[in-house]
Amino acid sequence: MSFEGLPKGTGAKKASFRDAIYFWEILRGLGVTIKHLVYNIFHTAEMPTMQYPEEKRVYSDRFRGRHRLMQREDGTPRCVACQMCSTVCPADCIAIQGAEHPDSEIEKFPETFEIDLLRCVFCGLCEEACPCDAIRLDTGIYEIAADSREKFIVQKDFLLNNKEDGTY
Amino acid sequence: MAKLTIDGKELEVPDGTRLFDACTEARGKPLPHFCYHPDLSVAGVCRLCQVEIEGMPKLAIACNTIVNDGMVVHTNNERVRKASEQILEMHLINHPVDCPICDQAGECGLQNQYMEYGLYDSKVEMVQKTHKKKAKVIGPQVILDQERCVLCSRCVRFCNEVTGTGELGIYNRGDRAEIDTAPGVDLDNNYSLNTVDICPVGALTSRDFRFQKRVWMLKAAESICPGCSTGCNVRIDYEGSRIYRLKPRFNPDVNRRWMCDKGRMLYKAVHDEKRLTEPMKRSGGELQTLGWQEASETAVGMLKPGRVDLVLGSPHLSLEEAVLLRRLGLKLAGEDQLVGGVAGAEVRPGDDLLLNSDRTPNRAGLRMAGWQELPVAELVAKLREARGTVLVHGGNPAADESVREALAGCQHVLYIGTHRNETAGTAALALPGAAWAEKAGIFVNKDGRLQAFKSSIVRPGQAREDWRVLSELLAAAGEEEAPGSLRALRKSVGADLFPDVEFNLVALPARGVNPTAPVAGGEG
Repeated sequence: MSFEGLPKGTGAKKASFRDAIYFWEILRGLGVTIKHLVYNIFHTAEMPTMQYPEEKRVYSDRFRGRHRLMQREDGTPRCVACQMCSTVCPADCIAIQGAEHPDSEIEKFPETFEIDLLRCVFCGLCEEACPCDAIRLDTGIYEIAADSREKFIVQKDFLLNNKEDGTY
Repeated sequence: MAKLTIDGKELEVPDGTRLFDACTEARGKPLPHFCYHPDLSVAGVCRLCQVEIEGMPKLAIACNTIVNDGMVVHTNNERVRKASEQILEMHLINHPVDCPICDQAGECGLQNQYMEYGLYDSKVEMVQKTHKKKAKVIGPQVILDQERCVLCSRCVRFCNEVTGTGELGIYNRGDRAEIDTAPGVDLDNNYSLNTVDICPVGALTSRDFRFQKRVWMLKAAESICPGCSTGCNVRIDYEGSRIYRLKPRFNPDVNRRWMCDKGRMLYKAVHDEKRLTEPMKRSGGELQTLGWQEASETAVGMLKPGRVDLVLGSPHLSLEEAVLLRRLGLKLAGEDQLVGGVAGAEVRPGDDLLLNSDRTPNRAGLRMAGWQELPVAELVAKLREARGTVLVHGGNPAADESVREALAGCQHVLYIGTHRNETAGTAALALPGAAWAEKAGIFVNKDGRLQAFKSSIVRPGQAREDWRVLSELLAAAGEEEAPGSLRALRKSVGADLFPDVEFNLVALPARGVNPTAPVAGGEG
């Protein structure tokens, strides 16, 4: 490859002293900031900023928040540990171990049911795959925080702990 | 030979061939079927394999038809497909469709057939279905779900024809017909889990595997059962570092499609909590763990030529390990100081089907490698004389009480093994080896057939493949040609043991090979 005939350098003019110290440009930028500040002080209702956590955004009913496990009438999980959810899960975040249920009509139940919330991508495929409507992402909870990685791996009892009307 | 046309394809098959098998050959895949099984008699009850034979007024079942010269058969036309669909619908009338909790889901004949021929909406409501017993325990290994059963009678025929025990039968009639054991009889024979394998639906499931894993999550590795000298070909179904079940693999020369229940449970020893996972050294009467570096140095120190008084092999070693250990033994000690194991140990009653009375997988291989076994008394006498290092590799010779006492009297026992067993209890240094499922190797079965097994799960903790440990010790003993890979080891073993026979130990055929009957791959 030959470099002959190509322009040398950018060809830009050397900046003048006025441009080189950026002073006027800084003042112009600050002017924009101050313009918005003054405008917002007098028009607070139009401001897009929310005062989280005092104020919270309202999401649609279809918003997929943290999972919950549905209960039977007696409070035991509806889940039969068929593992459709963990099979379909693209993030591989659900781990279930099935076991023999004392009631032979139910036959199978999850002995352990773990969801790794750090891996979960909240796609909702698990609730679509579930043949028993046992897992839902309808809690609306999106504030998922903890101070260690282990605490993000939530267990069956935690996921089951929701009230009958669907609220926590 | 009979010439026939199947789906427009002409083929020639031997006289007496079943039309079912001819169709499989022509189509490349079997016809839909539940009741036909190549190793059982023909029942012809599921009616799924119906085909149209030109000149016959009605459809005929392929499994109970013998080919005829000039037959023209259609397996996939409108009429046949419709019949398959209708028969399948009949089978599903009273089926509970509880696939989410059924262990068979994923390898179920009904599911597969439905995806191919069904895909209709059921005309039967759940409440209209005939309900039968679910989760009925019918034996120590098997659980029965009568609702899921399609009455193909494979399990009944298996118990009548293969084991000859006849525990199962079909009782009642019509939609009340059900598989069951006779009153007071349990499905309790050593081959009962084969009924689970051949059950095309989820009616018979294994109590051991029940609810442990969905089958589509399992990976498979080809292996050989280490339970006895028959050497049944098995498939290890595993996921991650855990084995979930063993299934038989078809080998017409060894085990056909069966294996025994005892063999199926052997995977549990691999996950035993008494596994030896770290090198351990005795200090102050207790075995303490230590790192491999230090353990290797100690082992090399113990195995200085002239310091070794006895090398004890085992019929649990693979062929490669037996050869390599012998090379190491000859380097360190004399011919008469090498003992292949305790003669007559691990012999328990077998049966005339598959289970052999010799419960070790590779006694023939051990002998092939040149090892001689000794009776207990002679071995104990040798051990009593031993003042230097005693190298014990594989198995658990100290399971015999007198051997254990003699070994405990030796000061310098070096044990390479898989479990913290009685032998490890007598050792001054114990090195963790790999269990059969964690390494590749070759077992030689009682007929002299060489069969390769592949590794599946990862080894626990610090455990190493045995041949690597031996190779390292061999190099430390001054051997310049210590093998650096399993491939190289197999090549040298092949050159040592079978200089005249032309077969490749590196890539043994899937069915194994018998050098004493040199029609390699052709028998059966």
